[in-house]
Amino acid sequence: MATMAPVPGTETTTEPILEVEGLVKHYPLTRGILFRKQTGAVKAVDGVDFALGRGETLGIVGESGCGKSTVARMLVNLERPTAGAIRYKGEDVTRLSGRALKAVRRNIQMVFQDPYTSLNPRMTVGDIVGEPYDIHPEVAPKGDRRRRVQGLLEVVGLNPEHINRYPHQFSGGQRQRIGIARGLALRPEIIVADEPVSALDVSVQAQVVNLLERLQDEFGLAYVFIAHDLSVVRHISDRVGVMYLGRIMEIGTDGQIYDHPTHPYTQALLSAVPVPDPQARDRRERIILTGDVPSPTNIPSGCRFRTRCWKARQRCADEVPLLAVPEAFRGEGGPAAHPSACHFAEEKRVVPPDDPAVQP
Amino acid sequence: MLLEVRDLRVEFTTREGVAKAVNGVSYEVAEGETLAVLGESGSGKSVTAQAIMGILDVPPGRITGGEILFQGRDLLRLKEEERRGIRGAEMAMIFQDALSSLNPVLTVGDQLGEMFVVHRGMSKKDARARAVELMDRVRIPAAAQRVRDYPHQFSGGMRQRIMIAMALALRPALIIADEPTTALDVTVQAQVMDLLAELQREYRMGLILITHDLGVVADVADRIAVMYAGRIVETAPVHDLYKAPAHPYTRGLLDSIPRLDHKGRELYAIKGLPPSLTAVPPGCPFHPRCPMAQDVCRTDVPPLYAVEPGGAAGLATGEGRGSACHFWRDCLEGTGSR
Repeated sequence: MATMAPVPGTETTTEPILEVEGLVKHYPLTRGILFRKQTGAVKAVDGVDFALGRGETLGIVGESGCGKSTVARMLVNLERPTAGAIRYKGEDVTRLSGRALKAVRRNIQMVFQDPYTSLNPRMTVGDIVGEPYDIHPEVAPKGDRRRRVQGLLEVVGLNPEHINRYPHQFSGGQRQRIGIARGLALRPEIIVADEPVSALDVSVQAQVVNLLERLQDEFGLAYVFIAHDLSVVRHISDRVGVMYLGRIMEIGTDGQIYDHPTHPYTQALLSAVPVPDPQARDRRERIILTGDVPSPTNIPSGCRFRTRCWKARQRCADEVPLLAVPEAFRGEGGPAAHPSACHFAEEKRVVPPDDPAVQP
Repeated sequence: MLLEVRDLRVEFTTREGVAKAVNGVSYEVAEGETLAVLGESGSGKSVTAQAIMGILDVPPGRITGGEILFQGRDLLRLKEEERRGIRGAEMAMIFQDALSSLNPVLTVGDQLGEMFVVHRGMSKKDARARAVELMDRVRIPAAAQRVRDYPHQFSGGMRQRIMIAMALALRPALIIADEPTTALDVTVQAQVMDLLAELQREYRMGLILITHDLGVVADVADRIAVMYAGRIVETAPVHDLYKAPAHPYTRGLLDSIPRLDHKGRELYAIKGLPPSLTAVPPGCPFHPRCPMAQDVCRTDVPPLYAVEPGGAAGLATGEGRGSACHFWRDCLEGTGSR
């Protein structure tokens, strides 16, 4: 095993704390009541590899149904993978159970998307944020909990005196802060955040993004930041993986992905993002994809993006492109030399370079 | 002028008291023009649109003042039957969530055809043929077969195309699109916005695009009206506004969005929260969150000043640029303190 080449996407900027290899989640589709017969599977996640460094932020972007949320749920053990390994400090979490699993889960916490449904309306803020201590009492002795919860509320920018209030007494942004405080309660090393700012208004979104960045510096947290908003992901991430139909299509540093994308899907995705600059309207080239994402029950052969790709040729239907540095860029070492799962990878700049004239 | 909204006021009776959801809003839309109405939740952008369409829930809502002139007629003085004749035929609306706006137990063909049966008195057969044409027009593949399908059999992007087809069916002069692409993925959003812009150009419709997305606005709008706490705080041609905002709220919004084209430093965050509409602060509604606020802002409600660099102080007219900030000059020059 020692001679194996590193798995693409595992070159973290710091020492890896979490490594994911060959992660698969298939949900069986069955027929019949007495004699259940599997007729197919929803291939939500279909072979994902990546690594996360200590204190690093890995952004995962993709459209709905690409499997990014399923990856998140597997990372925090809310779903059991069908296959593959999730290694936390070298130990495969998917093989653990009982006490050993509980110890690992303490260190990997989740922040959910919807601050309205992810907080129990009948529990006070104090109970919500302190609940992790019921499961892991070793972290905080009983008499110390209230003080700890108040400390957490303060850290996330809420008034510690509001500890006895209920979720409905808070705004959306404040509720998301409560969810973040709960995620921090056990002092985890990794936070998996699934669309943490998508439900928030623009002015509040910036407050929460800044909070997440501040907490990362303060506690040395590593984030897996999952979102569909490519601008937010660029802002917060050190590295970015682009998912499509259950697989990572391209992965690299934020500059490699945004300024030097080589996969056609990434290029289309980036070119479709509206940029808040009316001057860019005429300067930009838009790649408008045709059709919709295929069903994950019936994934195209070869390259799964080929049905919507303007470059697709016979080879794309026959041969699955591997996530690796494309041959054309090997040995160059430039920013285009990063893993991209395309037979015909080419660099194409789709985000117009920042025009200094429009900057205030 | 196709549509002129003048000093519109809408209130809602709630348990906490009277909420002034729309508090003296005026805007205009010309034929073929795209006006973007930008605001966060609770800014009154959708309620204004509902009042224009005549689909406001009354009660709890009620229109307490103002005029809505559509092709010269004040819609607020028309009888309900007359408004029903206008709604759908002369002005139409596209909603955010196509799945809940379409009837799940009728085929899309029946729903599209209904427009022609009800408003144009066509036979069912002719209406069905028109429905197929429309579905073709919004580029739904195999329209002749899919006309018999139900809404749940279409993807989100396709359903939004059907909504567009339905809105365009009778060639209205005005379309109001309320967050038409917010629920869609970015690649599908681009397809749908492209289609909408193309059809608008072709039919020379006026379009009111209600959104919270500064990126979408920059892509398609001619003019923009920024709403905050039930008022318009800034209105301008879209290029001018992005180049130099004349209201601190607009400036704050522009500074608070992360950019795709560079990584950037810490985001600027507007402090605090939008006010509750039952307790809008006195003076300028934005003053508790404003970095430039002075004493006058706490007492005097700023009118919509005409923004003309170097020009005399006056009030904005329909087409001009306007800012409801006592210190718009400082904001425009970027000299306001942060």
